[in-house]
Amino acid sequence: MNQIEFLETILPCKDKLFRLAKRLLVSKDEAEDAVQEVFLKLWKGRDKIQNYKSPEAFAITMTKNYCLDRLKSRQASNLKIVHNNYKNSENIERDLEANEGVELVTKIMKNLPEKQKIIMQLRDIEQFEFAEISQMLEINETAIRVALSRARKVVREQLIKQYNYGIS
Amino acid sequence: MELAKIESVLDSYFEGETTLAEEKMLREYFSGNQVAPHLEAYKNLFIGLKNAQAEVSEKEVILPKVTNSSNRRRWLSVAVSVVIVLGVVGLQFSENNNQLTPEEEQALAEFNKTKETLLLLSNSFNKGTGELAVLGEFTIAKNKILK
Repeated sequence: MNQIEFLETILPCKDKLFRLAKRLLVSKDEAEDAVQEVFLKLWKGRDKIQNYKSPEAFAITMTKNYCLDRLKSRQASNLKIVHNNYKNSENIERDLEANEGVELVTKIMKNLPEKQKIIMQLRDIEQFEFAEISQMLEINETAIRVALSRARKVVREQLIKQYNYGIS
Repeated sequence: MELAKIESVLDSYFEGETTLAEEKMLREYFSGNQVAPHLEAYKNLFIGLKNAQAEVSEKEVILPKVTNSSNRRRWLSVAVSVVIVLGVVGLQFSENNNQLTPEEEQALAEFNKTKETLLLLSNSFNKGTGELAVLGEFTIAKNKILK
């Protein structure tokens, strides 16, 4: 597989990988670094890519694993957490003007457990079928629906709480 | 859109039982201007989910240049075979040049003569570019030679 073929296969899902990484790592810079790293890993294993039914699903699995590893090592070293939170609040303010509702979604999804965050990202934002998500995460469809329902219900609670606070 | 339908789809949305098509319908409903007042709280969520998909990474990914050893070896083998082929062909040519048959000698002489004539013609052309009227004559002469 040469570089052009590789890019034709993988480049179309770059933004999906970026959005997933950003959902998990929060910081835009770290998400971009994650995408770069995942691309390098995929490039090194490019001869295997053709063996996968869906290169996109493979790339997403890889991004998810990479980000979870990053989060784990970040937790272990306890680095940058304060810094990231600070940076994020800045980002939110900027996004607020550009994208209606996106800031709300970011804020509301931020406190979900990682697994629910990933599932909601893949389903409600990237609009993948349950079968695809099941393949990416190696979780069966029923378990995905259950986790998704939990995530959406937490989101609903927060929405209503916020909404009532806003009007009263 | 029927309000009752929206409400029931919204319920199954929170149960994780909606299809992609139904979820699309919800996003469209909440992006519209006629959201029922008691569903107002969900408006920004569905708009936000829709808009979140538009976010793109602005940073280019960089891949290392290809310096694959197997690739290099492939090129090396191509180069080697080209050299061998050239060598064999060159050897044959040089052998042929050493001993020409009478026919070949005659052909060579004729070839040289034609070359001389064409060279002369070309010189005349160069001289006569200003006199385009004479060009027809040259064409006739050339046709005679190159019959």
